[in-house]
Amino acid sequence: MNKFSKFLVALAAGLAVFVAAWFFMQAGHYGSVSAHAENSPVAAAAPAPGGAPIDSSKCILPTEYMRAHHMQVLNKWRHDSVREGNRTYVNPQGEHFDKSLNTCLGCHGSNPMFCFMCHEFANVKPTCWDCHLSPMEVPQ
Amino acid sequence: MSQNRREFLKKAGLGALAGLGAAAGLFPAFALEQTDMSNFTDKPVPGKVRWGMLIDTRKCLGNCTECIVRCHHDHNVPDFGKSKNEVKWIWKSGYENAFPTASTQFQNPEVLERQVLTLCNHCAEPPCTKACPTEATFKRWDGIVSIDYHRCIGCRFCMAACPYGSRSFNWLDPRPNIKELSTAYPTRMRGVVEKCNFCSERLVKNELPACVESCPEKALIFGDLNKPDSEIRKLLAANETMQRKPELGTLPSVFYII
Amino acid sequence: MIEKALKGGRGYWAWVAFLLVVIGIGVTAYARQMTIGLGVTGMGRDISWGVYIAQFTFLVGVAASAVMLVLPYYLHNQKAFSKIVIVGEFLAVSAALMCMLFILADMGRPDRVLNVLLYPSPHSMVFWDVMVLNGYLFLNLISGWAVLGAERKGVAPAPWVKALIYLSIPWAFSIHTVTAFLFAGLPGRHLWLTAVLAPRFLASAFAAGTAILILITFILKKVAKFDAGPEARLKLSVLASYAGLANLFFLGTEFFTAFYSNIPAHMHSLQYLFFGLEGHAPLVPWMWFSLITGIISVGVLLSPPLRRKNGALIAACIGLVVSIWIDKGMGLVFGGFVPTPLEAIVDYMPTATEISVTLGIWAIGLLVLTMLLKTAIAVKTQE
Ligand code: SF4
Ligand code: SF4
Repeated sequence: MNKFSKFLVALAAGLAVFVAAWFFMQAGHYGSVSAHAENSPVAAAAPAPGGAPIDSSKCILPTEYMRAHHMQVLNKWRHDSVREGNRTYVNPQGEHFDKSLNTCLGCHGSNPMFCFMCHEFANVKPTCWDCHLSPMEVPQ
Repeated sequence: MSQNRREFLKKAGLGALAGLGAAAGLFPAFALEQTDMSNFTDKPVPGKVRWGMLIDTRKCLGNCTECIVRCHHDHNVPDFGKSKNEVKWIWKSGYENAFPTASTQFQNPEVLERQVLTLCNHCAEPPCTKACPTEATFKRWDGIVSIDYHRCIGCRFCMAACPYGSRSFNWLDPRPNIKELSTAYPTRMRGVVEKCNFCSERLVKNELPACVESCPEKALIFGDLNKPDSEIRKLLAANETMQRKPELGTLPSVFYII
Repeated sequence: MIEKALKGGRGYWAWVAFLLVVIGIGVTAYARQMTIGLGVTGMGRDISWGVYIAQFTFLVGVAASAVMLVLPYYLHNQKAFSKIVIVGEFLAVSAALMCMLFILADMGRPDRVLNVLLYPSPHSMVFWDVMVLNGYLFLNLISGWAVLGAERKGVAPAPWVKALIYLSIPWAFSIHTVTAFLFAGLPGRHLWLTAVLAPRFLASAFAAGTAILILITFILKKVAKFDAGPEARLKLSVLASYAGLANLFFLGTEFFTAFYSNIPAHMHSLQYLFFGLEGHAPLVPWMWFSLITGIISVGVLLSPPLRRKNGALIAACIGLVVSIWIDKGMGLVFGGFVPTPLEAIVDYMPTATEISVTLGIWAIGLLVLTMLLKTAIAVKTQE
């Protein structure tokens, strides 16, 4: 086997590793959220969904957690509600929320800059507002 | 606004933005609609419900376009006119175009001239979902054939697979061609496929699809095809009805009274 | 070894420079398509696939036709092909690469291409196509390169290389079968909904691909003084003529089934392509040109005295490639959409942007092929 064919094999192996890593990352994304939000003993002890009033005066999870993980929470919510029809989220305190971007915007929408300031600062460009109407576009 | 955030905004030199944000806090509550939680269930049982529609072509006559206008407005469907870039969810087709394999010889000329409402049939055996390489288009638990716009790669296999021409592609950015943004439903982005969603965003709130609600002639009947005593099932049993291209085995959930 | 592709005369560099210019034009056009959207192409709601998918279909066939050299050489010990098996393998590599680029160019959201792997959907033929095409590219690249490397050192290739080569033989059939299944499984598109589509794809692929191989041997003889030998060419031309004949036969059966059964939906697309439908006949001259050229070319290839003459052989091969390119690279894909599911007749005309991107991708493929063949010939001629 000459050098180049070795290089090609290495390239193929590298690609395989890359794809595997990607899968793993995706799994990790879902995993990290559900570990906190769904599989925690607190959530399990909480009353079954249904009936309880919706409290939208506070955030679904602690601010610190949301600051780091809101994208995974949104991704998981989207998956659950769009693809599985499971629309109710119960947080560790047993409070019920609609799995919808509108739940977030119910509070955060009152500050049209809420999302943008931080994303600007972190220099990330999520594609949410390509489709969803951002708080900046909706007449206040 | 928390102290922390003030700090970092100052550091980032975004003081002006922060000021704007704070001022915006003075405005009343956010205008996006809230979802009515009372209708929520947990994860639904797949296949229990199968939503369907019955279109009475005897009542849907003339040049009325109420349902089309309402649907396209509510769902932020862009208007590219009749160009090749056209996007549509529900529209009127000639009788022979909608039912190309139906008998037309010596047919009542009034029937042949009818304009028939056409939309996605939410087939029970959808070829479009089979063709999709990412499961971006999929059959939901309630029979609605849905598109996950976040996942679609824009390969348009579903468009080639749909034998009814129900699907449209966003050849260009749709936003500039939406006359009046509606807050009822998001828009789409360039490069994904879209079509009628049977108003799943309204069903979750226990509301009928926008087209059904808007029809002045009550020509559209919507309901659960799996429930034997639903209005739609009673009407299906009592009338002579047709599906589009039944010979293809797609089992459309949209029926027509001729 | 690849450094051998960096040594060459005036003509070689002029050719590379020309390809680079075409690639540049293609990239610019693609940038335009990326910023504005696929709306810059001639495709639309009704004809939702165009030249990109058509080129893809044609090139999968070219890629598959490497088997026309690999199979006789490795399974039937046809020594005549020893010099040019590598040409077939490298042609397959560059064709498979172009296929993937065409798919990418056709996608509305190429940024999400990994979704195909993230959400594997075995019920979708596209998923399988992505798998087999990638596999085929690597099979041919790795085995071709390894054989060449061994040849340079004057040793026999490692045993695993043989295994890969044997694997590539059924794999070649699979890539084009899966490509046919992309089309043949769609209800309501009657031109495609036919069991003979996969065999016909294979036949046309082996005809056009083999003809391209013959042409490449002539080009190599002229520009690189590398002659595959008249015997190899003759054997290839026999293969091409039978494959071409099979292709014409399958086309004939399509006509028979559609027109004898007299089922309107089955006739419409063929009518549109060959006779025009309700006054729309943009492809009619093309299709007839393709049909007549195809028949003449196959006739020439079938006649032993004619195919021995280099001039006639070259002309027949060019004719066969052009004929099949029109039939498969245009007619089959565009015609399948007409009439639309709502019985409308819509014509399609590619735009300048679309054509530039297409030429750009062809140039990328040719550049890769040029460099691979340059290396192969340098090794073979012990330069
Ligand atoms: S009508 Fe077309 S898009 Fe709708 S479900 Fe059936 S095949 Fe899919
Ligand atoms: S265009 Fe989107 S929805 Fe349609 S088949 Fe491709 S990925 Fe699936």
